[in-house]
Amino acid sequence: MFSDLVARNSRRSRRENGLFFASLLVSIVSFYMLLSLSGQDVMRFLQKMESGAVTRLLALIPVMYVWTLAILFFLIYFAERFQLERRRHEFGVYRVLGMKKKDLFRMLMAEDLRTSGLALLIGLPLALLLAELVSLLTVRLTGIGILGHQISFSLPAVLFTAVGFLGIKLLASLILSGKIVREEIGSLLSEVPEGTKKQLPGPVYALSLVVGIVLLAVAYYFAISGEAWMYISTMALVLASGTAGTVLLFFGLRFFIDKLARASYKKNQLQVFNFRQVEETVIHRSGTLAICSLLILAALCCFGAGLGIIAERKAETHALDYTFDIYGETSEETKQMLEETRTKLKKGGLDSLFADLFVVRTGYVRTTEDWDNAVRMEKLQEALGQQPDSDDKKIVQNRLEYANFPYLIAQDGYNHVLRNAGLPELSLGSKEVAVYMDPEYASPGVVALLEKLLPENRELTIDGISYLFTDQVQTVSMVTDRSLTLSFALILPDEAFDFFTKGREDLYMSGVLSEEAKEGKSLMQAIMETNEKLDALGLSYESYLQNMGRELFFTVAASYLTIYLAIIFLVVANTIIGVQFLMTQQKAQRRYRTLVSLGAGYETLCRAAGNQINWFFGLPIAVAAISSVFGLRSLFSGILSSSLTGRISEMMWIGGAVVALLVVVELIYMLAVKRASNRYLLGLMAPKREE
Amino acid sequence: MNTILTIESLKKTYGKAPSQTTALDGVSFKVEEGEFLGIMGSSGSGKSTLLNCIATVISPDSGRIILRDSCITDMKGNELAGYRGNEIGYLFQNFELIDNLTGRENILLPLALHEVSDSESEERLEKLAEYLEVADILDQFPSQMSGGEKQRIAAARALVMNPEIVLADEPTGALDSKNAKALLEKLTGLNAEEKTTILMVTHDPAAASYCSRILFIQDGALVHELRRDVPAESRKAFYERILQVVAQMGGGSSHVL
Repeated sequence: MFSDLVARNSRRSRRENGLFFASLLVSIVSFYMLLSLSGQDVMRFLQKMESGAVTRLLALIPVMYVWTLAILFFLIYFAERFQLERRRHEFGVYRVLGMKKKDLFRMLMAEDLRTSGLALLIGLPLALLLAELVSLLTVRLTGIGILGHQISFSLPAVLFTAVGFLGIKLLASLILSGKIVREEIGSLLSEVPEGTKKQLPGPVYALSLVVGIVLLAVAYYFAISGEAWMYISTMALVLASGTAGTVLLFFGLRFFIDKLARASYKKNQLQVFNFRQVEETVIHRSGTLAICSLLILAALCCFGAGLGIIAERKAETHALDYTFDIYGETSEETKQMLEETRTKLKKGGLDSLFADLFVVRTGYVRTTEDWDNAVRMEKLQEALGQQPDSDDKKIVQNRLEYANFPYLIAQDGYNHVLRNAGLPELSLGSKEVAVYMDPEYASPGVVALLEKLLPENRELTIDGISYLFTDQVQTVSMVTDRSLTLSFALILPDEAFDFFTKGREDLYMSGVLSEEAKEGKSLMQAIMETNEKLDALGLSYESYLQNMGRELFFTVAASYLTIYLAIIFLVVANTIIGVQFLMTQQKAQRRYRTLVSLGAGYETLCRAAGNQINWFFGLPIAVAAISSVFGLRSLFSGILSSSLTGRISEMMWIGGAVVALLVVVELIYMLAVKRASNRYLLGLMAPKREE
Repeated sequence: MNTILTIESLKKTYGKAPSQTTALDGVSFKVEEGEFLGIMGSSGSGKSTLLNCIATVISPDSGRIILRDSCITDMKGNELAGYRGNEIGYLFQNFELIDNLTGRENILLPLALHEVSDSESEERLEKLAEYLEVADILDQFPSQMSGGEKQRIAAARALVMNPEIVLADEPTGALDSKNAKALLEKLTGLNAEEKTTILMVTHDPAAASYCSRILFIQDGALVHELRRDVPAESRKAFYERILQVVAQMGGGSSHVL
């Protein structure tokens, strides 16, 4: 009998409150997604390349796990409280019929266990499937090809997911069931109207509204002016004033909604009623709404930042697969090493793996001791000085200040790089030089500024000999190693290079894998196989993959975690708003019944509830959306390199994606809540027998 | 006089055989326009079922309810919603004001629901508020009003649509005698001056004495009818007659066996 009751109650809970059950599933999935991170293809790949960094990241996971536990506990506690609140009367009846406190508690816990078990049964396979999908998707997105895709299933992850989920669920149930059981039967049976909250005079709310808006404006200003990132203290100030602003705004919002309600007497249908319902929630739950709004803001910022990090990665041209370390104390030694490397490759039969194996030569001006004046380009510097002030101008000025003793690059080697990148080669005249800037430093703005000035200010001297700049700035990385970067260098014709460097040169031997080596394999696979062969020969080298790995690591780690957090924040905030609405609706049961008796039809009530839902979700979302415009701008300028902030189209794309995510998630939630609300209202339409 | 409401052999049973309860057992009567009709009966007599049937809150098993020329027992969904609060005004024992709306908002609610034009509703509101003496409390919330004030606001809400008939279910049940008297006097006044038809269910003889006619219901059937001889008969004399009938019914043959 008892177990029948438990089974029936648990089934009814799931049916009546899909939102609650869905939030349980989301918890399970998010735990597993986090815990199975190490099993993802990308992470396995990275572990080979950047094991140190990955280990550090994976060490962070327990911290994230605990953090997620805390947030999801909040979610489950809230959803479950709603679940139990609506059954108060039923519990009262059980108790009146003689059920002991102990038995009621036991029944609630048993129901809970049953629901949790079922959630795990459905949630875990769902999580496994999703983790697989994400694993495949990240591999596809990062372009590393499929390296023997492995199922990301991880038993410890499953165990910790189950333990964590059951832990927070049980804790929430213990607290809530304990509360219910301790209550008097009378209070369980009676309807509990929302306690009337002490009302403050109108001006207090108006003042709170104004102060809130001012604080938000201050936070917005500091956020986009960039001052937020200067010191920790200013950042703390921005966050504090933004948070306080949001809380005060919601507290004062009732002033505005009261005005709206009073202004809408003359409107049709239930508009006044709707505004009053919304107002009541704003009064009673302004804190919760503010927190939800901040959570949504955090979600939007995290999501935007995650996408920004991904977008930033795509900027560079891939030209080279390998660069070998050739470094000797003297030029002779270096040349000798180059020969040795070539011989080793040939002996090992590996030279056939490379379609192109070439040397990029770099060096300094060695024909003069006067390093401060080795290279002079006054005309360019002057022209730059006359440009209107901008960030790009500052960057270029900074580069040119150190350009009096720049790196020189020989044209022939660099042309190999260009050819491999599929770009037109340079053909410098005997008195021409080209400017080279590493992609890291060459933001579109900087390049555009230089290319605007160069055609008019070509003149420069190298050790007193006149040369002319070409129009274009070269920005294709000349080695695979991205830790080796040149902020400003000159590409010279080979003869001029030989002349100025006097044979003292650094060599970078780079290679591109041949079609044979890559045949039937992904680039990732081909490089990994080649790495093994090169390792066997005892050669030291940098591969595209290692560098990509390094970069990929930061991209994947940062974007994975930020997007993960974004989704959790969004789910938590929306579930709370949804549950909050349904709870308020249930407490207003009497009001709805009165409306029915006054002639409100089912459709009218559904429309009214729909409007309220729009407001309920709309308020916190609107505030979050406005804040996110400033938040995202600030984040982009603070954490992303300047090369991205210049790319308007990318930014638009990210902004669009953030909006799309928000719209999709909100629509799903609002639809779910509207359905639940309609179902509830239909129940109210049935007549209540009074005799 | 025109007949405004016709009830024809209304039947309603609750539950399934063999534990069936007959709440209404073929009740038939007519309500004339401008009448103040009372329905009296003890608890369980079927008076609330009767009122709920007329209020379209529950549907009878058989029989018909005809308001003017339309049979409301045949109506469904939106048609019924249009009829509630519009053709029929309700006054409840516990007021049923919506507690987060001001007095004004509560009164205007039926107008908004039935999409009545602004100027018309404002005018009606002013008039009712003045008559029912609630003009000063229109912008207060129910929690700031006394019981009497609440019920007068509720009365204004029931009357604001100018309904064909007002159904009052123990409207004085939650009021003290002073407030009850004030409310009933207002209702009587409206009935006399505006020719508002009122159907009031009550078990309180004092409240019933304000009516012009009283139907007594027992075990789901009408058992007696009293008519007040207006204006010859005083309210006090009518009250005495009501008490007599109540006493007879309470101690009647059906209870002696």
